[in-house]
Amino acid sequence: MNRKEQTALKKFLSIRGMGAALTAFAGLIIIYIVFGIINPSVFSGQNIINLLRSMSKYLLVGVAQSYVMITGNVDLSIGSVVAVSAMISATLMTKGMTPVLACLIALVCCLALGVISGVLVGKFKLPPFIATLGTMFVGRGISYMVNGNRNTDALATGIGKEAADRFSNIFYYGKTFGVYNTFWLALIVFLIFFFIMSKTFTGRHIYAVGSNVDAARLSGVDVVKTTIKVYVVSSVCCWIVGLILCAQAGMGNMEAGNMYEMYGVASGVIGGVSPLGGAGILLGTFAGAGLWQTLENGLNMIGAQVGMQRIVIGVIVVGAVLLSELRAHKK
Amino acid sequence: MNEVIVSMTDICKSFPGVKALDHVNFELRSGEVMALIGENGAGKSTLMKILSGVYTKYSGTVKINGDVCEDLNPKKAQQLGVAIIHQELNMCKHLSVAENIYLGRELRGKFCIDNRTMEAEAQKILDELGINIKPWESVGNLPVSKQQMVEIAKALSINAKIMIMDEPTSALTSKEIDELFRIIRKLKKEGHGIVYISHRLEEFQHIVDRVTIMRDGQYIMSGDFKELTMDKMISYMVGREIKEKFPRVQCEKGKKIFEVRNLNAGKMVRDINFSVYEGEIVGFAGLMGAGRTETTRAIFGVDPKESGEIYVDGKEVKINCPRDAIRNGVVLAPEDRKKDGLCTKLSIRHNMALPNLDLIGKHGIVNSAKEEKLCEKIVKNFQIKTPNVEIDSGNLSGGNQQKVVVGKWLARNSRVVIFDEPTRGIDVGAKVEIYNLMNQLKKQGIAVMFVSSEMPEVMGLADRIIVMCDGRITGELTAAEATQDSILKMATAFKNKNISDSEGE
Repeated sequence: MNRKEQTALKKFLSIRGMGAALTAFAGLIIIYIVFGIINPSVFSGQNIINLLRSMSKYLLVGVAQSYVMITGNVDLSIGSVVAVSAMISATLMTKGMTPVLACLIALVCCLALGVISGVLVGKFKLPPFIATLGTMFVGRGISYMVNGNRNTDALATGIGKEAADRFSNIFYYGKTFGVYNTFWLALIVFLIFFFIMSKTFTGRHIYAVGSNVDAARLSGVDVVKTTIKVYVVSSVCCWIVGLILCAQAGMGNMEAGNMYEMYGVASGVIGGVSPLGGAGILLGTFAGAGLWQTLENGLNMIGAQVGMQRIVIGVIVVGAVLLSELRAHKK
Repeated sequence: MNEVIVSMTDICKSFPGVKALDHVNFELRSGEVMALIGENGAGKSTLMKILSGVYTKYSGTVKINGDVCEDLNPKKAQQLGVAIIHQELNMCKHLSVAENIYLGRELRGKFCIDNRTMEAEAQKILDELGINIKPWESVGNLPVSKQQMVEIAKALSINAKIMIMDEPTSALTSKEIDELFRIIRKLKKEGHGIVYISHRLEEFQHIVDRVTIMRDGQYIMSGDFKELTMDKMISYMVGREIKEKFPRVQCEKGKKIFEVRNLNAGKMVRDINFSVYEGEIVGFAGLMGAGRTETTRAIFGVDPKESGEIYVDGKEVKINCPRDAIRNGVVLAPEDRKKDGLCTKLSIRHNMALPNLDLIGKHGIVNSAKEEKLCEKIVKNFQIKTPNVEIDSGNLSGGNQQKVVVGKWLARNSRVVIFDEPTRGIDVGAKVEIYNLMNQLKKQGIAVMFVSSEMPEVMGLADRIIVMCDGRITGELTAAEATQDSILKMATAFKNKNISDSEGE
């Protein structure tokens, strides 16, 4: 390695939050290899693409929650907005509306909920826990009411089998270059938001608001607008997750996205995003979602039960934060 | 009565790099009000913190009631009867008066807290003081003056014979001050010794018996109030020579760049009018709490204004938030670095780029090369000591943090640069660098105004000095006219609050 490469590497490593992200990646690889040794079918191509697909949803809600957490807030309405997206798009499609239009209407509804959360937190300074608790209940209520308190029928009943299959393929069952579309979709969304977070004015404002609201305001940042923006980003991610769930089931499920807000917190926190704001990078969220799904997948493959999986993930979340706390105290 | 209850001799106390107290003597007798006066940073608070057991590492002897007290701590001081009535009241706003009075030493009944006895006891003390407060009222609903009374009641309930009052009248109206003085006189009669810290010399005639004067951590004198005049006290307070050297640059005074007219914002910014010309530095002097910081914040759009116009280069500009100010070429390096100046959890690079994103990017996207160049330039110009710009700004030393706060603004072509306490808590070398920088701005024809509580700094650096007191501008001096006496006189020119002379008891 020559000198120039060395300084470049040093700089890369000194990026804030990179340490935690790389730790999560390392954990991911170790876990993967350990499970692979126990059960070699973990290494199979089919398992890899399954794994990538199953982590996609968690990556997306992780991005959603990370955006909000980096401003020092929280979004409890993520799961409900996912359900709103799934139920509204599915209901409209079963009534015969073309999928594109149905999805766009669902998007508008998700955005509205995101803006409401953002305004309550940013403009009216409600504690985010309370404001988004409100939108959480409202969102879930909407998803119940959309189709009269029942799940929808199969999408094919409204738009025909061919269109329903196409919809399902685009979001869930189809593959491109041998990998499920779901993953590509999540990856593209991730890259866009990764770029916004690290390279744009908005991204800088988000970090500044999360690190020190007063200093951000005195540096000319529009705190209210920035807060609304992160909740809008969150609702966009939720919208896509809702469509994925709808495509997977081939119908709309009122209980879709249950607990996803907490899955988002877990993905972010494992990757080093601080719920107190100002710290963490989306690369960490990627690693966090990956680590979690590798773990779940591995536990599945060796026959562990769901209960066990939940316990392990609980320990990992707390362990990740404990580790960074201890590291910070050492300084 | 009139026996010595506190005697502090040869007290020395150092903080890293600063000698806060240098062989200070202090004495308090029962049944008297002892005024403790001195400029900002003279060491009054430090001395009282030693008496109340907050600071423990000092040399010298402290005697309370004739006994030498070693290893004092807050609890022990309280047991010995020392109580502080703080300037910023320390109370749990959601709890009741009685609960606050008994906080930390609640009375216990058979099974749980004995509220009834506590309220009855509290009522008794309040009655004795002749204060009309009910013990079950919650403290947050009381006006500040009444909250202060609760603190006094609390001090009485622990049987404090030594009461320290830190700027007790600063937040009170004249009627409330009357009430406070009535109580102080009553306490005096009952044999309490009261240390009265205040900048408001003109109030002293109503209650003060003796005065102790401090300056720069040193004991200057103490004596009977009756034998001192106002002028004499002021000259004792400032009587120092300016030792530090300040680099001064002479510039031609040019056209008017910045003007503030009839600015009003809350209690601490009343009817502010001033202007700043090309080629001059304007310093804002005054005592702590004179409203200088509030004025800068109102100008910069951090706090809302009630009224007032602001002109930059002769054109009126509307400033409703810091964004507007920055857009119009007005920037502020705030007083409290950690709270308002820096995102300490973010890298130096992020901090420097934050207000300058419009300069280093287009269409909302940051240009990394330009950003790097900007940071490099600031680091080099300000000689910021850091291995690279990726480390957390919170890890820098105070002086280097200040350079980041100031430096981030100077990448812009601003017309007006406002510094609030630019050298607070930084070392001498860094101070000179900041001074040079201000001079450099002045040479470039930028309007520079700064707030400082260090008088030598204001006198050494400013071409024109504006003095504030109690939210109003009380005087303006050129550098040539200014003396420490004249500044301090203006800085203590409190509006007469019409205190009735009813002390004929």
